[in-house]
Amino acid sequence: MTPASKQYLPPEVLARIGRLDLRARAVVEGVLTGMHKSPYKGNSVEFLQHREYTRGDDLRRVDWKVWGRQDRFYVKEYENETNLRLFLLVDGSSSMDYIPPRFDQLPGLTKYDYAATLATSLAWLGLSQGDAVGASIFDEQVRTSVPARTNRSHLSSLIAGLEKPRQKHCSDFHAVLRNLAENLPRRGLVIIFSDLFGEREALYKGLQVLRQRGHDVAICHVLDDDELDFPFEGPTRFEGLELGGEISCNPRALRDGYLQAMEQFLGEVRHRSAASQCDYQLVRTSQAVDKTLVNFLSRRSKTRGRS
Amino acid sequence: MPSFDFITLLWWGLPLAAAPIVIHLINLLRHRVVRWPAMEFLLASQRKYRTRILLRQLLLLLLRVLAIVGLVLLFAQPRWVTNLGSILGSSRTRHVVLLDDSYSMGEVLRTEVSPDVPPTTAMTRGCTMIERLLEELVSTPGEQDFSLGLVSKLKQKNNKASTTDQDSSKSPNKEAEGNRFDIYTEIITPQNIDSSRISVKKIRPSASTTQITPAIRNITPLFSGDDGSGVLWLLTDLRKTDWAASADIAEALKPLADKGIEIHIVDTATADSDANILPNLSRSNLVVERIEMIGGTPVANVLLPWEVTIRNYSTSPSQQVSLAIQEDLLDRPGVQVDPIPPGDIATIRFESRFQNTGGHTVQVELPADRLLLDNQRTATVEVVDEAEVLVITTTTNRNSLDNDSFYLTTALNPGTSAATGLRPRIEPPRALTTLDLDTFDSVWLLDVPRLDATAIRPLEDYARNGGGVVFFVGPNTDYKAINNSMFRAGEGLFPVPLAGAVDLLKDQQNPNAPDITAEDHPVVAILSGRRNPFLDAVNIDRYMAVERTYQPSADSGLRRLLSLRNKNYLAVEKPFGKGMGVTFLSTAAPTWNNWARNNPSWVVVILELERHLARLRRQYKTILIGQPIEIDLEQGIDRVDIDFLLPPENRIVHEVASMSQDGNLAAVMDNTLEPGIYRARWQTAAGVRQEWTGAVNINPTEGNLERLPIAELPESLPGISFLYDRADSLKPTNENRGSSSLVRPVLFTLLIILLCEQLLSYSVSYHRAHKKN
Repeated sequence: MTPASKQYLPPEVLARIGRLDLRARAVVEGVLTGMHKSPYKGNSVEFLQHREYTRGDDLRRVDWKVWGRQDRFYVKEYENETNLRLFLLVDGSSSMDYIPPRFDQLPGLTKYDYAATLATSLAWLGLSQGDAVGASIFDEQVRTSVPARTNRSHLSSLIAGLEKPRQKHCSDFHAVLRNLAENLPRRGLVIIFSDLFGEREALYKGLQVLRQRGHDVAICHVLDDDELDFPFEGPTRFEGLELGGEISCNPRALRDGYLQAMEQFLGEVRHRSAASQCDYQLVRTSQAVDKTLVNFLSRRSKTRGRS
Repeated sequence: MPSFDFITLLWWGLPLAAAPIVIHLINLLRHRVVRWPAMEFLLASQRKYRTRILLRQLLLLLLRVLAIVGLVLLFAQPRWVTNLGSILGSSRTRHVVLLDDSYSMGEVLRTEVSPDVPPTTAMTRGCTMIERLLEELVSTPGEQDFSLGLVSKLKQKNNKASTTDQDSSKSPNKEAEGNRFDIYTEIITPQNIDSSRISVKKIRPSASTTQITPAIRNITPLFSGDDGSGVLWLLTDLRKTDWAASADIAEALKPLADKGIEIHIVDTATADSDANILPNLSRSNLVVERIEMIGGTPVANVLLPWEVTIRNYSTSPSQQVSLAIQEDLLDRPGVQVDPIPPGDIATIRFESRFQNTGGHTVQVELPADRLLLDNQRTATVEVVDEAEVLVITTTTNRNSLDNDSFYLTTALNPGTSAATGLRPRIEPPRALTTLDLDTFDSVWLLDVPRLDATAIRPLEDYARNGGGVVFFVGPNTDYKAINNSMFRAGEGLFPVPLAGAVDLLKDQQNPNAPDITAEDHPVVAILSGRRNPFLDAVNIDRYMAVERTYQPSADSGLRRLLSLRNKNYLAVEKPFGKGMGVTFLSTAAPTWNNWARNNPSWVVVILELERHLARLRRQYKTILIGQPIEIDLEQGIDRVDIDFLLPPENRIVHEVASMSQDGNLAAVMDNTLEPGIYRARWQTAAGVRQEWTGAVNINPTEGNLERLPIAELPESLPGISFLYDRADSLKPTNENRGSSSLVRPVLFTLLIILLCEQLLSYSVSYHRAHKKN
């Protein structure tokens, strides 16, 4: 472990913290305050850059000092740090409750725990910056929904929503995302925390619907190490968490085929996400949550910077 | 066809091959349950790789089963019969053991501390080796055809078999042939090995001598159909007398060697552990070579002289030993035998006296040494009341002092105070034609002028059949008639041609010189020596001279007994047929000499001469082991029932003597394989019970235990490919006996299977990637 990585909290340590708010606090405290900046530009005292004047620009924003020196029209642009509507969409389907066999010896976070912790941490950061943060938990439909608020005390509502008992059905992305798009009053940033196991075409359609409504969409693809590495040995009977069915097999024999299918799935998701202009990040549950958070924020910052 | 050295391991081990399948099935029942979210991909993988997974699993299972099978096969020592014959269905290997069972194989090589444990002999070593061979053959793949023959039984040609061979060479009389073998063409199996082992344990050394060559020739047909897969085990003690320059053995072995038969010469008498042999027994081997009654006719109550020859067959002088003597199986005082130099002989003389007439036995025995059987020898004598001697003379006055017969008969039968057992019968010449001369011990003719042909013929027939005839000449002798009728230019019984009577002139130069000189002859041994007083006392005045031109031919066998001072003959003998003619060229009475008058040597020489001649007629034939006993029976009847009593337990064998084509009636006993006293009993046509006693003895040459140096064995068997083994250290192996070991190929295959199994297991198993720092 490098010195830099030591600052992060490993998931197994985080798993010992029972309450979600405390977990989120432990994560957020490790992240630099103010690192997150609004990707939206607007009126502000914080100058950002000059841009050459084009037809239609507000003449109030023309920098006349520059015109006086260079005889050219430039407009001033300022950072807009307020009024982001962040909506956290956490997958609460049964597939998110996969408990790896390694948890028999070492405690860890399930995918749902991980996703909830990450979502809470982001909510914490958003609320602390004055953003409006809302959250929903879904499976085949939205089971719990907390509307977006800017009030810092709203965090407790978000946490309560995430900690609500779930019904653990299958995911139906299309229905959920369409529902979300229809119900969100204003466009904003929608971050989906899910393992994306379900009808894939439905997922892609749902993403497109969100995008069509002008939402910025980020996907935090949470997967367990076992799902990515398939390290099983010995005779094993796999019973489907979501889809049902079972396979009694020697996992070693199926590993190659499984990894191949998983790789294909990840590639496809990554590709379709990019095609839908959705931000996509694969997250391992073995990875430190705060590190994931930092990575996510820096990635978002770069993406917005490019755009 | 594969076969296995330890096939029972196969039955125990092969079920273990099911272990991987059982483990696989158990694992299927013991699998762990994982509630899995990404079931879609798992199902996709299963759909895609279902066939491959199944095949891999089956292949892995098969490899593991094969690995266990290979391991079991490895322990079971598989073999593959490589001969072409085995492919065609005859995987038979023929083993013929030819065991030298001559009596030298009874040589004691090692004695045990416990008296209950029998000593180790060359024969016991050989038998132990055969038992080991049998055990080895049981575990050898393929059919192991085993025959065991003894040289003593196989050395004689099987007449029945050979007769049949002439009729059909491809179908020998197996029954007749098989009777000569202790074990004949038997397939050795675990079921019959015990009976074979019992047959081997019964084998004892015979009393015969080694005759390997005819035995090899007789077993050669056993390998007739073999294609090089036969093995000849020749077990012998490798005595030098049998094997040195044994060109005949090499010649007998050559057809087998040319046929590719594997020849093993197994030495039963040499072992590394023989360094401290025989702590309690003499290392020399003394052999009683001969026992013979050297007297004339054995007569009851007359001392009979015996002579025994003992040879020391060793490289060290013998110790002083005592020769035990038995007369009619009763002990009598023995005789000390002084140390005998290596390879030399000692001659022992003793006398015996038998009270009764009939057959008597004399047995001598040396103390136990390395070889027991040659320490004993037996002789028999047929003792008679008296021996009649025929004296032919023309003198009528038999008591006259000038009468030859008087002096002769007095010498032959001095009187009751000095019994000789001889009874002279004085007859005129015509008695030669009327009497049965064969009843007389010897015939003496005293100054007979002449004999006509009718008298000469029976006389010569008598001599031809073994009789001894003595001629004394004298004044009445017609030397010309003698030359013509009895000498007949060397063809007749009379030894020398006569030239007439002449006086022996005095030697003026050496007047004290004796008139006669004694030649080297046992009859005149009493007169031998340069200053012999008996010789000096003999004066010859006149004698019958021999023709000056006479030169006896080299093959005439003429031998002087006495010569005159002038080198002329005085006494001479000439073999005639089985008998002999002896001539004294002077008178018996003191007419032409003074020898018979007051000279004791006269009596001695006459008795010695009579004994000398009588031995010709009464010489007992020495019968050796294996030689038939032939008893001539009375003529005139067609058949006689005769019972033979065979040693050692007087087993009675009934035989019928039939008249042969030449008209003789003789009983023959072929079964003379045991040394000892043989008796025969029968009744004559007149109802008189007759008994014959004879001794069968071993051949003493077998007692020479000198071994052939191993280095010389190849020279003795030039051109013969053979293997030399020692019986005590030989471990028969069947590595290439009709089959080849599959251990190595199975081992390699097993390694390949294990390697494949490991590779396949590795390929289908998950290996956690090492995390990079």
